[in-house]
Amino acid sequence: MGDYWRGQRKIMKKYSARFYIFLVVLILTVLLLFIPLLTTEHYLFASVIFMIGSFFPFFLRFEWKKVTGRELVMLAILAALAAVSRIPFASLPSIQPTTFVIIIAGSVFGAESGFVVGALAAIVSNLFLGQGPWTPWQMYAWGMIGLASGLLKNTWFMKHTIGRTIFGILCGFLFGWIMNLWFVIGIIQDFHWSEIIAYYSASFLFDLAHALSNAFFLIVFAKSWIKILSRFKKKYGLLL
Amino acid sequence: MMKRGFRSLHPLVCLIYFIAAFTTLMLYQHPFFLVFTIILLLCFHWALDRWRLLRGWGKMFMILPILFFIITPLINHRGNHLLFYLFNNPITLEAIMQGWIHSLSLLAMLLLFMSFNLVITADKFLFLFSRGFPQWSLLIMLSMRFIPLLRRRLNEIITVQKSRGLSTHDGRFRQRIKNGLLLLQILLTWSLEEGIQTADSMAARGYGLQKRSRYIPYKMKLIDGISIIFLLILTILCLFGWWLGDGVLALTPILEPIFLYGREWTFFFLYIVLIGYPLIMEIREQLLWHSWKQKI
Repeated sequence: MGDYWRGQRKIMKKYSARFYIFLVVLILTVLLLFIPLLTTEHYLFASVIFMIGSFFPFFLRFEWKKVTGRELVMLAILAALAAVSRIPFASLPSIQPTTFVIIIAGSVFGAESGFVVGALAAIVSNLFLGQGPWTPWQMYAWGMIGLASGLLKNTWFMKHTIGRTIFGILCGFLFGWIMNLWFVIGIIQDFHWSEIIAYYSASFLFDLAHALSNAFFLIVFAKSWIKILSRFKKKYGLLL
Repeated sequence: MMKRGFRSLHPLVCLIYFIAAFTTLMLYQHPFFLVFTIILLLCFHWALDRWRLLRGWGKMFMILPILFFIITPLINHRGNHLLFYLFNNPITLEAIMQGWIHSLSLLAMLLLFMSFNLVITADKFLFLFSRGFPQWSLLIMLSMRFIPLLRRRLNEIITVQKSRGLSTHDGRFRQRIKNGLLLLQILLTWSLEEGIQTADSMAARGYGLQKRSRYIPYKMKLIDGISIIFLLILTILCLFGWWLGDGVLALTPILEPIFLYGREWTFFFLYIVLIGYPLIMEIREQLLWHSWKQKI
């Protein structure tokens, strides 16, 4: 009986820790998005601090973790797959399933793997296509998407198609908004509400296309992809 | 091609240069500074690859800055110098200056990153990365190796599946998207199974038994050390100049004249030396080459 309760407490602890991580990340992300609007003095400094503060702990955690060869190779393959996934869609403008692959990776292999796959996909695809001022933002956005889907993987939300679809739509918009920050912070340093709204509405159609394609992929393919990856995880005993 | 000039320096020096140049570029929002930055970077690109890379990116270089130049005055109405009304929108001189600064600084930033891609190639990037983050850099290397492989496999899958009528090129829009992801799904199952083999062969060669050793292809030379100190001093001086308020064109409350005056020239000179440092190295290399040729 004692063991049972200890186990239960462990599970509770694990869940509440997860919840807190999720909360902290969420708050940091929201602050990052609204900081340019709130403070007009030190937003540059503050937003970079927030980005580093919410990104680096996870980055370092993986660096210090002992990972087996199989897990390492599998993460590398998922990230490479996410990066090349644009190729079949070359004839379909502004549709790319990279975010979908990252969401699925996170929701099968957990938050840390989702984060690694997201950040890695951004680095690797930029190593091939050319680094730019957008690289860190892309790493951040995709890493956080993978992290969030991993943290939510055992909740009702990510276990049902409706929840997953909503998540996909949110990710599409959040990704676009975070990516817009690179020139908002880098270039327009002395800005105004109206400018922000103008630039963000200019990217609205692209973000909408991203969000809708995420939703479509998640509705049609989420189940089969999750099944494939879960089966694979079980077959080779990956502990990620 | 032989690596020479700036590219023959230690990758750490190059990285420090790019960080310093990027920081000062973000801080010095002055058209006079920015125009000279762009000229210097264009010269640097000419020295690096005769503008081959820039030609490929030409469109983006034209579109984005022009967009900024047009949009900014339309939505920014601050300033005292009213020029004219466009569809009941007041267009001010300050806003046009601001748009001009934005587009110049965007152009300079893009040029700087293009040269970053030419100087810090993937191998140097991994070398720099592996100092602090060995596990991440191993993962990046693995993933980079998989990209060409997955591309080849994907093309194979696309060719084979075309014969079954599975294609992303024809059919209804919905069906095309669906087909695209089905192709990826085939790639996923194939690659994951094959990946296990890669992992097992890694394990067979002793991955994870010991601390991994590293191949270090770059050595610090005297000139690298001097360059680092030189660049750091210049950066600190430039940051000091920014703190004093030089090198930033004040738009409000009073529009500052564009032409530099007094103390600003000092910082302009320091800034130009900092941004133009790689160009100096390239020119030095050329001069050395000529003097050696004459000795023969």
